[in-house]
Amino acid sequence: MDDHVITVLNNIGGFSFIALSAYLLLLSGEISFGQQAFFGIGAYASGMFTAMFGLSFWIALPLAMLVAGLAAAAVGALTLRLRGLYFAIATLAFAETIRLILVATTWQVDVDGEPVGPNGSEGLGNIRWGFDNEYAPVDFLWMIYGSLGIVLLLFFLMERSRLGSIVRTIGADRLLAETQGINVTRYKILVAGLAGALAAIGGAFYAHIQTTVYPENFDVMLGVHSLAYGLIGGLGTAVGPILGVLLDVGFLEAVEWIQGYRMIAFGGLVAVLLIFMPRGILDERRVHLLRLMLRGRRPDIHGAAGH
Amino acid sequence: MGSGYALLAIGFTLIFGVLRRLNLSYGPSIMVGVFFGTFLFIQFQAGWYTVLVGTVLGAAIAGAYVERLCFWAIKKGAAVASMVSSFAVWMQLEEGVTIAFPDRTYEFPALGDFELIELAGLSVRQEHVIMLGIAAILVFALHQLLYRTRFGLAVRAVSEDPNAALFMGVNTGRVIFLAFILASAIGGIAGYFIMATEEVITPKFGLQATFKGLIAMMLGGMGSVPGAIAGGLLLGVVEKQAEWYAGAVWRDIAAFMLLFAFLIVRPGGLLAQHTAARDLAALRRV
Repeated sequence: MDDHVITVLNNIGGFSFIALSAYLLLLSGEISFGQQAFFGIGAYASGMFTAMFGLSFWIALPLAMLVAGLAAAAVGALTLRLRGLYFAIATLAFAETIRLILVATTWQVDVDGEPVGPNGSEGLGNIRWGFDNEYAPVDFLWMIYGSLGIVLLLFFLMERSRLGSIVRTIGADRLLAETQGINVTRYKILVAGLAGALAAIGGAFYAHIQTTVYPENFDVMLGVHSLAYGLIGGLGTAVGPILGVLLDVGFLEAVEWIQGYRMIAFGGLVAVLLIFMPRGILDERRVHLLRLMLRGRRPDIHGAAGH
Repeated sequence: MGSGYALLAIGFTLIFGVLRRLNLSYGPSIMVGVFFGTFLFIQFQAGWYTVLVGTVLGAAIAGAYVERLCFWAIKKGAAVASMVSSFAVWMQLEEGVTIAFPDRTYEFPALGDFELIELAGLSVRQEHVIMLGIAAILVFALHQLLYRTRFGLAVRAVSEDPNAALFMGVNTGRVIFLAFILASAIGGIAGYFIMATEEVITPKFGLQATFKGLIAMMLGGMGSVPGAIAGGLLLGVVEKQAEWYAGAVWRDIAAFMLLFAFLIVRPGGLLAQHTAARDLAALRRV
């Protein structure tokens, strides 16, 4: 594989984590414009751990997930009362605050005679762990897709478990969930924390591949993109958000004649797609049909098309 | 500055009040208008009057495009899809403008050469005084329109309950469309006056306009015109104070922190008691 293909694949993998993070929150009925904050916290925290304090990536990754997860759970707890649009705007406000604080913060330590650490809008550079340990982009490719595989497996297990049905119940009708004896507060905070940790994985990989990250990498565009991925790809299955990433980063990045008009093409595509499929390509109904077909049963056209 | 924010917030609140959906493309539509205005200025040396009309017209046309594609065409009950769709169109508009205007910044005609004037011991830019005056006039006109005309009645009816309005013979689709254009035009006026004081425009203005309008609207309380004014003025004051004491970066940090704190402590905003009460009533009914 040539380097360009590997870079594109790495990007797809990295953004899949934040898309899944937004998707998890969508399942629980919340629209978040702020997942880029936890992607950014994951990138900065893991980069600081490896570059400033010399930790291994494999220790820095779970630590970064922990930091981002706790921050996300705290935000989740603070915004419990908010619903719908208010929640979306609150998460957006939080994410922009974090981003701007990163712009305003400089904290550097001496590593081998060089100052290393967050330096305002100059970003956090010198994240050389991959370079020092002779990790090529291909090695990162395996790491990313290995982790993505594990996350997807966990998602499928969750969808079949009690937790999955609880999350979807809360998403569909919070009052119903409450009357079923579900502790909505606890699950909401749990889901927020998990989603934050999930976004942090993507951020950690991103930081160690790019070796320099800037606060502007984590602006609102990233957050809304991650939300859009789930809505394009479909809300019926965890594969949906990844399909969305594939469509954007994979397809549009690969087709050269779209270059320069990429946003116009992508924007138009999304707008038209959402008119015909408001819950994405792989929505609940089509996922159900696909499952039936995979099991070799004839789909029940009446029941499925009745919507 | 605050009165510019207030005008932005009024446009926002009008759309949200009527549709109960968020139009992220609001700022970028204004940006399109502002760029159209500056195009008239650069190409034809148009006077301020033509530039203003061009800006408003451009914003209204862009707003109409957004409404047809993202709100009218998408089914009821898919508010999230509308919002994401309006974001997608935002990217379209921003890139379209970037392609049409490849330089990073463009000059925008100033209102004129004004001296600083002394007002109650403070030195004030005359542009800001004019902006405040225009804002006041517009708010008054909007109030008259909403409470004294049949169209205003229809807008308020749709805002209250779209189905009931439909049954009463209101052409809801048309009312929403017109309200949308009206909101974009108000945004265009706000954009013109903000730009005429800043005198430099970039495609980033779309993002700023959406953010400032959104923050001001949320601070004041969604769907409330007096709230939008109060929120805009509050935002302007807080930003200036933060900039004065802590520097330019802290101006935006302060704005977002204020919004976050407000949403947690008082989600209804400054002046949205009745909507908060209505939500509560709706919850009780369930």
